[in-house]
Amino acid sequence: MSKRCREYQPSDLPPAKRNRDLVTDPVDRLSSLSDELLLNILSFLPVSSLNLCQTLSHRFHTLSGDSELWKRQYYSQWVRPRARRLANVRRSTLPGRTEYSPKVSTWLDHSHLAEEGKVTNWKRQYRLRHNWSRGLCRVTEVEFPQPTSPPALVKLCAGNVFTADAPHGLRAWAAKDPASCLANIPFPVAQEKPSMLPTALVVSHQQSQSEIVVGFESGLFNRYIFDVQTSQLILRSSHVGLCDGAITAMALSSPYLLIVSQHRNLSLYNLGDQSHELETIVDITRPHELASLKADNMVAPMTLSLRASASEIVATVVYSFFHIGCGWSQGIQELRFDKDGQQLDCRIASTVDSQYGMRPLQGLSPSLMRRHSATVETVDNEDSAPVVPSILHRQPPTSMSYSHPYLLTSHADNTLTMYLVVSDLESLFVRGGQRLWGHTSSVSAVQVTNRGKAVSVTSRGDEIRIWELETAVSSLGSRRPWKDENSIQVSPGNKRRMESVSAPMPKSIQRDLDGLGMVPSVPQEMSRMHECVGFDEERVLLLREKQLGTQLLECYDFT
Amino acid sequence: MSAPITLTSSDGVEITVERAVAERSILIKNMLEDLGDSGEAIPIPNARLPRVLTTWQVNEAVLKKVIEWCEHHKNDPPTAGDDDDNRRKTTDIDEWDQKFMQVDQEMLFEIILAANYLDIKALLDVGCKTVANMIKGKSPEEIRKTFNIQNDFTPEEEDQIRRENEWAEE
Repeated sequence: MSKRCREYQPSDLPPAKRNRDLVTDPVDRLSSLSDELLLNILSFLPVSSLNLCQTLSHRFHTLSGDSELWKRQYYSQWVRPRARRLANVRRSTLPGRTEYSPKVSTWLDHSHLAEEGKVTNWKRQYRLRHNWSRGLCRVTEVEFPQPTSPPALVKLCAGNVFTADAPHGLRAWAAKDPASCLANIPFPVAQEKPSMLPTALVVSHQQSQSEIVVGFESGLFNRYIFDVQTSQLILRSSHVGLCDGAITAMALSSPYLLIVSQHRNLSLYNLGDQSHELETIVDITRPHELASLKADNMVAPMTLSLRASASEIVATVVYSFFHIGCGWSQGIQELRFDKDGQQLDCRIASTVDSQYGMRPLQGLSPSLMRRHSATVETVDNEDSAPVVPSILHRQPPTSMSYSHPYLLTSHADNTLTMYLVVSDLESLFVRGGQRLWGHTSSVSAVQVTNRGKAVSVTSRGDEIRIWELETAVSSLGSRRPWKDENSIQVSPGNKRRMESVSAPMPKSIQRDLDGLGMVPSVPQEMSRMHECVGFDEERVLLLREKQLGTQLLECYDFT
Repeated sequence: MSAPITLTSSDGVEITVERAVAERSILIKNMLEDLGDSGEAIPIPNARLPRVLTTWQVNEAVLKKVIEWCEHHKNDPPTAGDDDDNRRKTTDIDEWDQKFMQVDQEMLFEIILAANYLDIKALLDVGCKTVANMIKGKSPEEIRKTFNIQNDFTPEEEDQIRRENEWAEE
């Protein structure tokens, strides 16, 4: 027997009401329908009507907020257009089906919303996505009570903000409410020399805890655990690195830790699971072909990345160098290790070819070429290399961010440049370069995730843009330019405009500003971005430095 | 062509229709399949040859209306389940159905209930789309007036909910 037959209840429409006169006793026939039927009706309504229906009555409030309704809306608004687009780009590799399926794991890249035992509030997810796409958010500012010099190190991870500075030690804050400190743990007092100055901070999150590693000027590094449930910070272990110099950069992909020291030593550690003994698995000095990095690194930003897969660990260093033809370029050195720390190989690629608009040909077998060109329109005349580079940077990038496969650099000329790094068993190369336009002043910082979402900020911090790079990738290498509408300017609904923001800065000063946070403060500007700290699913965190040395943490909340 | 079916409304009126028309209702179709084509001993009340099925929940006026719809749509291809999402994207209703649905609210909701009970998905969708179109583009107060919905929120609750739902303006 049909299921619907049983679900019908005569009480849904009392017979007594049926024959009553409509005019004298208005009956709410709509509300007398069963929930199932009302949900069916609501499923034909657009999002704006659903929101209005929530204000009708308690019953409609519940029904119009139904998670399944919103899940469907989420799918048709955010998942299907993307699935269609991807299906167009690589028709052969993706199934043509773009119909709604309640199984979230089949929605491209949305499986994280359907984790085991987790109930997703789809209306909230929809709204979050909607706000991101419009740049709608609320901003909260927190001023560090006692500004420190040098400025505190800040990281955002899984809804928590971690700060490290010498006077206060390591502190954890809730990004939701950045005014209250969740946990605090002071750094150990240095016995002989005042070298407990934190110089690098890295955080990674897994399950219910965040792992934090703080690197110090002395070359020492401490490993902490932050328990999300109990909001406790625990010092797990303290290690003396093999190098004496200060730790300048770190990358963490638990349990592996990559460290670069002041003396350009690159070390990879396996932190182990619960062992207090630290096992150094690799300690290599830079290969000689990178010796020039030493000098370049002094002026240009460098970024580290560490990816661990089931069989190998890939450590990547991206650095800047000056190329006589096409100006500032990025070099990528990739070191691959097996799980025991045996180095498998070391590869180098650069963005020079991409900047000349050439596609790298070396090291590619014909079959591989076909595979790559399937996604890119064929470049017509590959023999005659253009003399003028299509991407020419006369100044070093103001910042870099690499999250495989996206490599982004920000520039003082109001643009970002995006490269796509291709790394497979046979080769490492950079595919296509693309200038991203949209900012109206010098860009000082950029952050990208491996999902292709990027956030960039101008040096005065008055313009923040969100980029969805996936659509840009599909137009890589093709002649038609990427449309600007893929970036959205963040517009906080409650933003208090600071006087310095509206004050125009002389052009010459603006050009001199590298925005790296290294230039001494210019009198004309009251505040400037120190660094774009990062962003997660729900918020963007920025660190702003004011003239008098005070630091301001700005949290842009998209929920 | 198999034998016609006689349907009895809840108020006892018999209407004889083609089997193809009656089978637009999945409820009736399943019943007929369960009974088989033996033409004998039909184990449901009020059933006699050629075939009499009682539509317990549906009165004569509504049953006639439903049959009218089934007559018109008897040759429609069966709807595929796959385009479910596209189906929901649009509240467009074809012209004949729009005319068909120009009834008072009482009849409209009776048709929805009957379509639900008899399991006629396409008719149910037309009914639900018609209601959805009555909701679309109206202010909450207009919607309440249209359907006589009682506002059971306190002013504070209403204010809070309005603020919560301000974000989607389009």
